[in-house]
Amino acid sequence: MRGSWTRPLAGLSPRASGRFWAASFLGPVVLWCAVSYLPFLWHPMVRVSDPGDSAWLTTGELVDKAAFASENGDIVGRHGRAAAGRPANPVFLPAPHEVARALVTGFTTPPARPEEPWLHQALWHSIQVIFWGFLFSSLIGVPLGILCGALPAVGRLTEPFIEFFRYLPAPAFGALAVAVMGIEDAPKVAIIFIGTFFQQVLIIANTTRRIDPALLEAAETLGASRRALITKVVLPGIVVDVYTDMRVLLGWAWTYLIVAELIGVSSGITYFINQQGKYRAYDRVFASIILIGLIGLGTDLVLASLGRQLFPWMKTAREGWFSKTLARVRRGGRQAPPESAGGAPEEAAA
Amino acid sequence: MSRETNSVEALAVPSYLDQTAEVSARFERIKQRPVILDVAQLSKSFSSPGRPPTVALDRVSFQVHRRELMCVIGPSGCGKSTLARLVAGLEPATGGEMLLDGKPIHGPGPDRGMVFQSYTLFPWLTVLKNVMFGMEVGSGMSSGEAEREARMWLEVVGLTKFAAAYPHQLSGGMKQRAAIARALANRPRMLLMDEPFGALDAQTRCQMQSYLLQIWRQVDITILFITHDLDEAVYLSDRILILDAHPGRVREVMEVAVPRPRSAEQFLSPAFVAARQHLEELIHPRAAQAADKLPVFRMTVVGDEVE
Repeated sequence: MRGSWTRPLAGLSPRASGRFWAASFLGPVVLWCAVSYLPFLWHPMVRVSDPGDSAWLTTGELVDKAAFASENGDIVGRHGRAAAGRPANPVFLPAPHEVARALVTGFTTPPARPEEPWLHQALWHSIQVIFWGFLFSSLIGVPLGILCGALPAVGRLTEPFIEFFRYLPAPAFGALAVAVMGIEDAPKVAIIFIGTFFQQVLIIANTTRRIDPALLEAAETLGASRRALITKVVLPGIVVDVYTDMRVLLGWAWTYLIVAELIGVSSGITYFINQQGKYRAYDRVFASIILIGLIGLGTDLVLASLGRQLFPWMKTAREGWFSKTLARVRRGGRQAPPESAGGAPEEAAA
Repeated sequence: MSRETNSVEALAVPSYLDQTAEVSARFERIKQRPVILDVAQLSKSFSSPGRPPTVALDRVSFQVHRRELMCVIGPSGCGKSTLARLVAGLEPATGGEMLLDGKPIHGPGPDRGMVFQSYTLFPWLTVLKNVMFGMEVGSGMSSGEAEREARMWLEVVGLTKFAAAYPHQLSGGMKQRAAIARALANRPRMLLMDEPFGALDAQTRCQMQSYLLQIWRQVDITILFITHDLDEAVYLSDRILILDAHPGRVREVMEVAVPRPRSAEQFLSPAFVAARQHLEELIHPRAAQAADKLPVFRMTVVGDEVE
């Protein structure tokens, strides 16, 4: 039992796994708390509580530690009353409790100016941009990737160019996208699309190529047509891996969000963060950044959980509300056909 | 020492050619049956750029009669798997002709079922749906009819209880039984089996061989069975096609004189031992065995011998 987790590739018990999961978040948070709350750690500034006899220090001001010390040295030289203050961090590193407060008040505080969005409006706007960009990319990218992987001729015809194109940084097309699509959301969706699509085709194509060729051969000896090889063997054979790929790709799409939203009229969470930066409300800046992370992580956790319920043939498959609903929908669909002619409707559906 | 005992045994066993009247009558009957698979002058060579082509099969000819069980055996590299893949239509031949029921073979088709060494059940389908696959996708049978047939075949291979299980929940032997059911459910003329029990442990393999014979006895099916296991070949076959390696050529087509029905007790019968010894000599000749000696020198103390 002693330290079994030091063995390469050793399995973790669910309990240990959960603890390590929590620790991976706790670590950075503890570090952040330490830097924020332990005055002897870093704290390069001084928050003035009493200016004393200083000519220029004011109460509540944040000054450089060295400047504060030399000013006090001058005052003591003049036999004046020394200024007092507490060690502090720069304004751009708010303490955890300030950010936590901003996370809550962010949703209840109206924007500084009426034309600015609320935090939830900004977030919702960003989610929509991601959604449409990723959806359009997937609608073309997934079928194309599967075709590229399944049919070497299609792969050879498209992949070399895509391989070249994916090195072109998506933001480089910002100016072009604005010229073609205007300054609203369309060019932003386009940047997400460009950032996702080319990687998507190549990754899905590679996943498709990893299918066990023996499965295709087995299907052929069972009389499957070429078309059936794709629809009945390749597609179900890769769907789990494609699902995992899509989760990774969705994460990448998020990383293009900030650049995309700077294009044309700045919008969404990017605009919100920039405005808060201008107001020097760094607690809200942090809160917004953390929110992006939480949304991304939350989506991925939900998708992972749905994945375990979607594919009952996987070893990791689990029953849940989603799989039960799916089963009910399927049973409901199954009960209807017998009245009509045999299994013909199912064939047509396939 | 061991060689001497071998030759003593060899004296005791009859020639592999000796057949009882019953056995020869059976072979006469088999020869009367129509030819299902007719392979003539079949050649296959693999070419890779910048290298001379490797000849896997060189003018191989043989015939398989209806409901015959023929094993193909030979040293590694004799092209026995290639032979099965050519007959299945999974690879094109470079020469010669293959006729199934008198019609030339072009590409894979549902008239030749195949069971592979690697597990090829579709992981995303339940055992039942796997068995239904060929009937639904290949022959376009309605799903209700296919399901009835599939359940019948699952009963034949003893997997009724596992109809709703997914392949990853089955043991290796069960997977191969399901694969046999899937291939047979399609009602092929021929069943090609490419070392199907090669990945199984010895006990399961014996069990599977017995299952296969039971199924074959009851079903109208002709089997071409690729193996490298001599016992398996003798135990299962009516005739054995023995191939030479580099290039793969027909060495001999041997009639197995062991009477049917076969059982595990026959492993020690003189006819079985004779057939096995003959195979052994063809595939692992004595001269080659002498060359198998490793140049290992003594690394232990004298007197510490283990044998």
